Amino acid sequence: MPPATAQQLEALDAQARRLLAVFTRAGYEHVPLAVIQPAGLFLDVVGEGLRARTYVFTDPDGEELCLRPDLTVPTCRLHLARHPAGAIAARYCYSGAAFRYQPAGADRAHPREFRQVGVECFAAADREQADAEVVGVIVAALSDAGLERIQLRIGDLGLFHALLEALPLPPRWRRRLKHHFWRPEAFRAELARLTSNGPPPMEDLTRTLADRLDPGKREEAQAIVAQYLDRSGVELIGTRTLAEISDRLLAEVADAREPPLAVEHAALIESYVAVRGPATTASKKLGELAQRGKIDLTHALAAFDRRLALLQSAGVDIKDAAFSAEFGRNLEYYTGFVFEIIAPELGVKSPLAGGGRYDNLLADVGAPCSVPAVGSCIHIERLLALLCASSS
Amino acid sequence: MSDKLILALPSKGRLMEQCNALLARAGLTVAKAGPARGYKGEIAELPGVEVNFVSASEIAQFLKAGAAHLGVTGEDLIRETMADADERVQFLKRCGFGCADVVVAVPACWLDVRRVSDLDEMAPGFRRVHGRQMRIATKYMNLTRRFFTQRGITGYRIVESLGATEGAPAAGLAELIVDITTSGATLKANGLRVLEDGVILRSQANLVSSKGAPWSSELRALAQAIACRILP
Repeated sequence: MPPATAQQLEALDAQARRLLAVFTRAGYEHVPLAVIQPAGLFLDVVGEGLRARTYVFTDPDGEELCLRPDLTVPTCRLHLARHPAGAIAARYCYSGAAFRYQPAGADRAHPREFRQVGVECFAAADREQADAEVVGVIVAALSDAGLERIQLRIGDLGLFHALLEALPLPPRWRRRLKHHFWRPEAFRAELARLTSNGPPPMEDLTRTLADRLDPGKREEAQAIVAQYLDRSGVELIGTRTLAEISDRLLAEVADAREPPLAVEHAALIESYVAVRGPATTASKKLGELAQRGKIDLTHALAAFDRRLALLQSAGVDIKDAAFSAEFGRNLEYYTGFVFEIIAPELGVKSPLAGGGRYDNLLADVGAPCSVPAVGSCIHIERLLALLCASSS
Repeated sequence: MSDKLILALPSKGRLMEQCNALLARAGLTVAKAGPARGYKGEIAELPGVEVNFVSASEIAQFLKAGAAHLGVTGEDLIRETMADADERVQFLKRCGFGCADVVVAVPACWLDVRRVSDLDEMAPGFRRVHGRQMRIATKYMNLTRRFFTQRGITGYRIVESLGATEGAPAAGLAELIVDITTSGATLKANGLRVLEDGVILRSQANLVSSKGAPWSSELRALAQAIACRILP
């Protein structure tokens, strides 16, 4: 909720300034970000899902604009405006309002206008170091605000990716499992489908075409598909080319001819997703899992352990930190380490701060290559509510 | 608002004619009141009713706002206008006309895309090749978004289209469409095909009551009486 009185506004501003002071002392440059953003870019990056929750409007020139639904994409835009190449190391911090339509009506727990104060760290070569640094500076800012009792929850999508890489799967299956990871139901269905290897349902007509396609002969396949369309009297229209259509058909044919996903590998993926517990013992558990499954996760687990050690040296208390392999499942743009900071008084449903690694986002916003990026922001209204409650 | 029952009816076109015929079958004679080009009317047999003639999409707005007690309009327009339609209105009676399906249609040449889930599979590759998300042309922005959200599909953009939507893919303005169809002939003529599980809504005109309108027990009884007389 926006503040109801001038006093509350002043308290929010003062709290934001305090947090920003911690960030700037740690070397993060305070940057101003425009509230009004081009809608097209946001929607291309975050997808229609968030569009339903974004305030989109058209200005008198017909340009489609929006009120920023978060401050991370605007920070990426600012960075690319300064450094079009993208891969230039930079640290930024910001404070400002973000706006999201609340379909069930706005209330205190689901405000449509809320304040985010956060940091972004771009193009740091040492990923684990940067991950730990970002958590460290957020924890330091919370501690400076007077908050002592916090709990850290972490996850690591990089481990999941490493697990898929280690299993003998066609690259398409990996892509698909990563893609469905965000939706547990679709993910389970996909696993079941790959295990049973029921060929994807096809109409008879397409079936007979599919039987004539050889996944090893791409150009020949295009000719067959072109001929098929021609004979069926179907015109090639639209932006997708014959090659795109034919390539996907080939992938489908290849999938259907692939031996099914081994039951023990599907089981391994399922038991990985179910791993949870103290962060300090997570890598031992995962190591045992990998050993039983006879796959090599050494590299990813070493990175995980190193990050934990770096977190500790950044002053983060990790002995109560919780790990969940599934954590991060609802935040589609993250690509690696993810974390949330929980206050026991507010519970896991209302984290005080959250963030993680999103190495694809700058490229999606327009960088010519993928740029390592990690960031986090603090829900300042929650922080203030907590501080007020504990002082009274 | 007067203490009359406000009934919003389509003001023009085929929907208006069919609506008048429906009411005539129910033994109700709709007549314009006041100047010939006015937008108010009455029903000779039911003096407690005031008729408002408005466009079909405005009828949905009237019902949403509670500015009319009853209205006759397409279910597609009701559901497009209100995300929580069942909370705000009650569908009293199907009218048996204005039948049309809201469907997802893709170029018929997309042999690799037969079901809605194929779009989800196709989207990342499309983005890699074309550097942007696939576009869906439609005037049903809300129905489209809800349908795809329910199916977990996010990699697309909606392009608002207010006419000749079925021409958008061939013109390169969008990759696929969500539009209304009765026989499918127009889609076919434009090189499009409905996905196997691509029917979003089977729509037709309905007699609808607004939960937000100012109701009294007399008005409720009157509304019930009208609903009972209507036979599709």
